[in-house]
Amino acid sequence: MQVLDNAASFQYFLPEAILGLTLLLILILDLNKELSKSRLIAPWTAGVGLVLYIVVALALRVQLPEAITFHGMMANDAFTDFFRVFSGASALLAIFLSMHSKELEGVKIEYWILILGITLGMPVLAGANNLLMIYLAMEMVSILSYIIVGYLKKSRKSSEAALKYVLYGATASGIMIYGLSIIFGVSGTLDVLEIQKFLVNNPVGTGRIALFVGLVMTLAGFGYKISAVPFHMWAPDVYQGAPTPVTAFLSVGPKAAGFAILLRFTYTALAQFNPETGIFTPLKYLDITGLMAVLAVLTMTVGNFLAIQQNNTKRFLAYSSIAHAGYMLIAAATLSSLALQGVLFYLIAYFIMNMGAFAVAIIVINATGSEELTAFKGLAKRSGGGALIALLMMVFMVSLVGLPPTFGFVGKFYLFMSVIQAKLYWLAVIGMLNSVVSLYYYMRVVKHMYFDEPEDDKSLGLKGFVFPGVVASLGLATVVLGVYWGPIVTFVQESAQLISK
Amino acid sequence: MLDSLQPLVFGMLALIIFISAAFITFSRNLIYSAFALLGSFTGVAGLFAMLGADFLAVVQLLVYIGGIMVLYLFAVLMTSGIGDVRLTNRSIAVKIALPLALVLFFSLGKLIFETEWFAQQTVKIAPTTAAIGDLLLTKYLLPFELVSVLLLSTLIGSVALARQELRNSKENHD
Amino acid sequence: MTLAWIILLPLLGAIINGYHAMSCTLRKQKVITGMVNFVGVGLPFIAFLIALSQGIPFILGAEEPLRETLFSWITVGNLHIEAGLCLDRLSTLMILIITGVGTLIHLYSIGYMKCDPGYAKYFAYLNLFLTSMLILVLADNLVLMFLGWEGVGLCSYLLIGFWFEDKAKAQAGKKAFIVNRIGDVGFLLAIFGLGVLLLPGISEGASIFNFEYIESKMSLIAPSTIFWMSSPIILTLLLFVGATGKSAQIPLYVWLPDAMAGPTPVSALIHAATMVTAGVYMIARLDFLFDAAPATLNVIAIIGASTALFASLIAIVQNDIKKVLAYSTVSQLGYMFLAMGVGAYAYGVFHLMTHAFFKACLFLGSGSVIHAMSGEQDIRKMGGLKKALPITSMTFLIATITIAGLPPFAAFFSKDHILWKTYSHGHTVLWVMGLLAAFGTAFYMFRLYFLTFTGKSRVSEEAKAHLHESPFNMTFALVVLAVLSAVAGFLGLPEVLGGHDWIKHWLNLGAGSAKAHSAHDHAMELILMGVSVAVAACAILLAFLLYRNGLEGPERRARAMQPIHNLLTNKFYVDEIYDAIIVRPIRSLSQSVFFRVVDQKLINEVFVNGSGKVLSWLGSCVSRIQNGFVNRYAFYFLLAVSVFLGIWVIN
Repeated sequence: MQVLDNAASFQYFLPEAILGLTLLLILILDLNKELSKSRLIAPWTAGVGLVLYIVVALALRVQLPEAITFHGMMANDAFTDFFRVFSGASALLAIFLSMHSKELEGVKIEYWILILGITLGMPVLAGANNLLMIYLAMEMVSILSYIIVGYLKKSRKSSEAALKYVLYGATASGIMIYGLSIIFGVSGTLDVLEIQKFLVNNPVGTGRIALFVGLVMTLAGFGYKISAVPFHMWAPDVYQGAPTPVTAFLSVGPKAAGFAILLRFTYTALAQFNPETGIFTPLKYLDITGLMAVLAVLTMTVGNFLAIQQNNTKRFLAYSSIAHAGYMLIAAATLSSLALQGVLFYLIAYFIMNMGAFAVAIIVINATGSEELTAFKGLAKRSGGGALIALLMMVFMVSLVGLPPTFGFVGKFYLFMSVIQAKLYWLAVIGMLNSVVSLYYYMRVVKHMYFDEPEDDKSLGLKGFVFPGVVASLGLATVVLGVYWGPIVTFVQESAQLISK
Repeated sequence: MLDSLQPLVFGMLALIIFISAAFITFSRNLIYSAFALLGSFTGVAGLFAMLGADFLAVVQLLVYIGGIMVLYLFAVLMTSGIGDVRLTNRSIAVKIALPLALVLFFSLGKLIFETEWFAQQTVKIAPTTAAIGDLLLTKYLLPFELVSVLLLSTLIGSVALARQELRNSKENHD
Repeated sequence: MTLAWIILLPLLGAIINGYHAMSCTLRKQKVITGMVNFVGVGLPFIAFLIALSQGIPFILGAEEPLRETLFSWITVGNLHIEAGLCLDRLSTLMILIITGVGTLIHLYSIGYMKCDPGYAKYFAYLNLFLTSMLILVLADNLVLMFLGWEGVGLCSYLLIGFWFEDKAKAQAGKKAFIVNRIGDVGFLLAIFGLGVLLLPGISEGASIFNFEYIESKMSLIAPSTIFWMSSPIILTLLLFVGATGKSAQIPLYVWLPDAMAGPTPVSALIHAATMVTAGVYMIARLDFLFDAAPATLNVIAIIGASTALFASLIAIVQNDIKKVLAYSTVSQLGYMFLAMGVGAYAYGVFHLMTHAFFKACLFLGSGSVIHAMSGEQDIRKMGGLKKALPITSMTFLIATITIAGLPPFAAFFSKDHILWKTYSHGHTVLWVMGLLAAFGTAFYMFRLYFLTFTGKSRVSEEAKAHLHESPFNMTFALVVLAVLSAVAGFLGLPEVLGGHDWIKHWLNLGAGSAKAHSAHDHAMELILMGVSVAVAACAILLAFLLYRNGLEGPERRARAMQPIHNLLTNKFYVDEIYDAIIVRPIRSLSQSVFFRVVDQKLINEVFVNGSGKVLSWLGSCVSRIQNGFVNRYAFYFLLAVSVFLGIWVIN
């Protein structure tokens, strides 16, 4: 595979350059006194920049062949392009939700800049082909997340969440960089593909114990980013404390980026790919599939069982998102191209249904001012669009459980199928049992909405068509893609292509 | 000559770093902790110098001691009454933590000594500044640029956090 | 996309009306009738127009099927299923019946359901039914067909139990659903069986359950075996189990008479004209598979003939106007299966079509009567309604003559074709059974007609006051259907009467039709035709003599034949037998073992309460960990890393 120098690589970096320029443009526009008065100019600029970003990324996906760019720093393959689009879309939706959330009324331009900064970090993380880049991109996503979580200075909870996030994140990143340094120490290279070469050409396993240690520490760092149990503890507190749109964003975008690097690292550095058979074989003495399977089981089980006990909407969704990370981890544990496709597929499904659920949560929190799950009581009977919103929430909940005919079902189907094809039946069974458990707490929300009476007679007060329209289209997508997912499969199949040597 | 001295120098530097780190952790006074940090940073600078990374050693001194340390001290001194705070560092059950720390310490130690590291055998003592500059603009251009974006965003973010504070206090005064 | 629109339009109607119904119920508002009508009737009508525009080339003779691959539906490894639609002559006939009769019945429903509180919900369900039925018919593969198959079952359940506050009606819905489920298992097993046979040798990108693909692989399927039995026989038997469920054949017919609990237009559309014929359609669609399994065909023929006779006997003594029609439907479906069984697929489909017209007309007529009688369904309390309901009685009479099989009305041709084919294939016993069933049919239908519309009025004074002819939108549907049932038979005018037997050549189904029975014994065919007309005429005469003056005479005679009469009134005790040998054992087993032990002890105490206890214990443990102190979190992070390291290094 060709390694491009800086000048030749720049065209591959065009989308990110657009993002960076948008960021600067927002700063510059704010210097103008007239323009800075308008609250809409910054989010709109960010939105336009993101749309441009996605369009250019999609165009480049077709135009340019895959390559290793910037002297081996980045791997620009279809996989990276997938996460470009994914990050851009999640940021776009997060900006949209932020504009309609009462918690974030009157935010300054910094908020949008922070979101753009995180978005810039995510595809870089997904495409990082160098331990230095992995660490840097991880920090880029993390540090800006710390700030954005604590953005509501007036809210004690928000500040507390930010502080906890910083401390926990610092621990995790400290341990991860320790692990990365050990890997570097043994292999003598920072380049992920070179590391793989070193591991393959090292059949006797020089320094294998040290490699183990480094690897576990690195995976702990990745585990923190995707909030895998037992590295998840920050998530409930942070998700609860952060402004709701930020929570929605964090539970989708950065988590997906964490999955991206986890997958890239395990599939390129720790496995051998045979292009003819399309089979990934784990390296003999660094087989992490067992460890990943344990992580997966822990993650989904703990996530699901703790979600049952939650009474706070955001905390509940936090545990639910932990559980979903667990489902995706079971496929990462199987190390096959089918599993790779399954995870990407599930990420799309998760994106749509989770964002939808958060959007409804924002609507409910806006209207009632309560973050408790009891605020959902009698939602269907509330005036001002209650019936529609309750119907949509039901769709999202059903999809999160993974029942047909929703996208969530298809996603889970592909995940479990890849596990079954890898003959890890016990893992699939545990996954399905977990889905049954999740039925209980998701359906509790539905029960609240339809069978209970509202605690007050506040109207949902939805104005205009834009916000309900977007939520409704998420709901529609959940159902339509649950019946017709052909193009998504094609897209995912094209995207599950990792550069390898 | 130099080779035989190296372990001795390393040992001294490590001792400095270790003792100051312990002091940072266990001291109950923030100012003492901050000053102890000075020792730790200096020790690390010494390590860089010992390994022939002259530029990094100087940067360590300039940025960490000259910049970050001073900032720390200012922050601690300017925040009213911070010295009076009794830090309620709820200690983690020592019975579990101490054995865990010891086990980790010894196993990592064992690991370090038993592993066949990929190491450059000879340390060339030569100026590195030019080489670093060269690398930053060629091979490591992308990380370099990304760091600048990260720093810019972080700067903006910290301004945001701080500015709201100011605005609030001004409103209170009004 | 044109074919897809035929399906999407009713679906759109279902969504709009469903949402409207839901939001009205939740907010306790009144339904906007105008919009519901516009959407609920207008969209199916547009679908009908599209179906017509697409179908006309086929009617005029186009042969090449119109295929539309909508999207690649399921791709899992080498299993590839496409959601595709296919319009050929057979499905053209079906979609025209479904959308055409469907639209008429929607129109009729506007009047019939006028005062019902569930008005919008009713139309939503009915539109959803049309969608599912159209998917079933237009599907180009078995899996998509199964989707429609399940969809119509669901809608049927929802509509039978439409007035679910009435416990008996809710029960009827459940009965239909459960009995259908038994059949569906057969269908599913057949799909799985086909998958097992075809999947190993599948070529890249081929849609495995596509009818065309299956047909092309018949050479592979025919000699293969499943469990030491010829696989075509196994597969077709399983499919036929599915068909007996959906199309109410022995032994799974029991749900259909109870299904009359639903609103009458529903009985007309779902339980007479369309859904119950799905089994017949499925066999016609898979004619190549059934042709390869002569043993199954014999089974189908025997079951069909038995059902026809059996149900027509029961119908003779029923006193509920809809029950008579329900058993009549079962009996007519038996004829269709008899046709399928003797390989005369085209005539089965022909009878399906004529039946759709006359039975829908009869049901809607009975609905009109019930509407006029303010809900009374017992024919012993009717009589002499002709004067009050002129249009209804006229159309009802036409449809009655049709079903009785008098020339030149439609059923004469379709039924006679079937009987002739049965005879000419050498199934003399089945032919006699069919003939007897025809006798029964003519008898009970005219009994129904005479008791309802002629003679002295036995209507209660209270009901008499409300007696009125139905509004225009209801009678319009009746008239159209009556005309159709009178004339549709000419599509299949037999050659012996100087016709061209157009329908048979047009449909061109099965291997039998290709061979073209040259050894036509015209004399014999004419004689048999005469016999069946004579039989029908005798039956009508008998009914006239017995029932023209009401009930007194026949009831006396019925007492003389008490045992037989009892047997028939109790429908051969089939429900009771099923109850004794299936329902009760299952129930006692579930009561004694599953409820007392498995549910109460195992699930309730061990799983539910036990897991609750474990959960709260686990929760308290974990919440002690998740206590909000971030230094603890960091500690646990390190602990976890160390534990993983430890385990791994040891391994």
